Amino acid sequence: MKRIAFWMATFVILFAFVFPIFWVYLTSIKAKADIYSLEFSTQFLFSPTIDNFRHLFLKTPFFQEITSTAIVSVASTILVMLVALPAAYSFARFNTGYGHLLFITISTRMFPAAVAAIPFFFAFKSLGLLDTHFGLTMLYLYFNVSFAVFLLFGFFREIPAELEQAAMIDGYGRLEILRKIIFPLIKPGASITAVFCLVFAWNEFLYAFLFTRLHAKPLSVGISNFWATIEIQWGPMSAGAGLAILPTLAAAWFMQRYIIRGLTFGAVKG
Amino acid sequence: MIGSGNEARVETLATGFLERKTFWETLTSEKYFKWVLITPLLIVLLVFTLYPMCYCLFYSTHQYAMPRPPKFIGFDNYRAVLQDVNFWQALGRSFYLLVISIAVELIVAMGIAMLFNREFKGQNIIRGLCLLPLLISPLAMSMIWDYIFHYDMGLMNHVLAKIGFSKVNWWTPEVALYTIAVISIWQWTPFSIFVLLAGLRSLPRDAFEAAKVDGATPWYTFRRITLPMLMPIIMIIILLRTMWLIRLFDPLYGTTRGGVGTETFDWMVYRVAFVFFDVGAGSTLAIISLFLTLVLCALLFRVLMKSLGAAE
Repeated sequence: MKRIAFWMATFVILFAFVFPIFWVYLTSIKAKADIYSLEFSTQFLFSPTIDNFRHLFLKTPFFQEITSTAIVSVASTILVMLVALPAAYSFARFNTGYGHLLFITISTRMFPAAVAAIPFFFAFKSLGLLDTHFGLTMLYLYFNVSFAVFLLFGFFREIPAELEQAAMIDGYGRLEILRKIIFPLIKPGASITAVFCLVFAWNEFLYAFLFTRLHAKPLSVGISNFWATIEIQWGPMSAGAGLAILPTLAAAWFMQRYIIRGLTFGAVKG
Repeated sequence: MIGSGNEARVETLATGFLERKTFWETLTSEKYFKWVLITPLLIVLLVFTLYPMCYCLFYSTHQYAMPRPPKFIGFDNYRAVLQDVNFWQALGRSFYLLVISIAVELIVAMGIAMLFNREFKGQNIIRGLCLLPLLISPLAMSMIWDYIFHYDMGLMNHVLAKIGFSKVNWWTPEVALYTIAVISIWQWTPFSIFVLLAGLRSLPRDAFEAAKVDGATPWYTFRRITLPMLMPIIMIIILLRTMWLIRLFDPLYGTTRGGVGTETFDWMVYRVAFVFFDVGAGSTLAIISLFLTLVLCALLFRVLMKSLGAAE
């Protein structure tokens, strides 16, 4: 009896989380007439079509957009890691700034997006950075860096300081310690942080929408363009969204076993 | 005597010269290394937060609606904003959305985490599936929700009609804010579930066994043992979710675009600055939101650090 209740509850939960995503894929293979249908039966019974994908590939710059998204999210993730790894190490090992600096770092993530958007828009305009991959990459660096520091701070705190002291007694230099001791231990934490930054950058919309027009336009902006003046083109939109999730899905799949550890910010010693 | 003294001095000078470190050694020395490591971050933060702050502070004291040139007007912008009824409504909505979203997410996620906190068949795949909403683009998803909640064509109303209820208009001023909340709750509850689940799994077993021996009810065990021990985790969730909810934009863009009584604070800043191109008023709103979020963040951060300290 208890088992049945458990599986019923599990089924309801799974249904709630998975069904809307299933609906994205279902909508992507529906003909326009079926999407806009007022009948209940056509919601599930319809003849599938690939028209939406054809529309997406032929009538919109889908491949250019997904390339932009890939360039910007990968580049920004690499930059974020280059900045955040040493900083988080410094916070965790040397207590740099006695917590105040860490607080400032984290609080920058709380600034409403528009606070940075107004000044940057005009600065980028005069520097010629609007609608460039470089400009968007820099914005995502700012967008993700504090969260990455926060995550990595937790991971670095889990590495015992005694390990380093022992290595120092053995005559290791600072860089050798970083390379031979810290880096192998932080790799899982760094991977999960990188996946988070990647997914956030991949799906980011507001900055992309404000700071790009044509050349550097990423996929999220492309998807928003399906909201036309008269109607929303749900079909091609779903096709685009369904394809856009696949890379993030792959990234998450590889990181699956680190995710649970990664989400606890060192508050959990597991 | 004098000679030997000089010799000693020469000697110290010489060793001092020999001991003078190379630039590289100075960088990796005990004193400077931690600052060297943190320099890139400081540069990024300086460029990307100090500049916008100064810019907004400056133009918040100016009347500056593009394309007219800016004109200094002192604190008139602040006065105008604080007297604007839209501002208070948007602020109220943001806060309301924040409270109900986090409350619902935490309660639902706690229930699910407790349910999944055991060994069962297919546990990895089932937990993995629950993570899906986190990965999909919030903007694309909100457009799909717009479809699902559509009055005539949406699945929700089709199903409601089928099982004998009357259709609901999900986008009226009374309901729309809750619809938005549902969208954001759906997307972010998995995050809370996973953090809580990780927390639950790390709790020491003996406390629960002792409670069992003493014959404590499950509710009592939960309230007196589980909940207090999970407090740091819950605080982390609240802190991060507050950070994310304050800049809630995508679900609004994909659905109501700030219409039908859903204009939140962040949306108002966007509208004033990027639709009306009123940089002066936009900067003023930005500075006010900066102040509010800083206060909120300081509060949450202090509680978090306290509970982290208590947990150790």
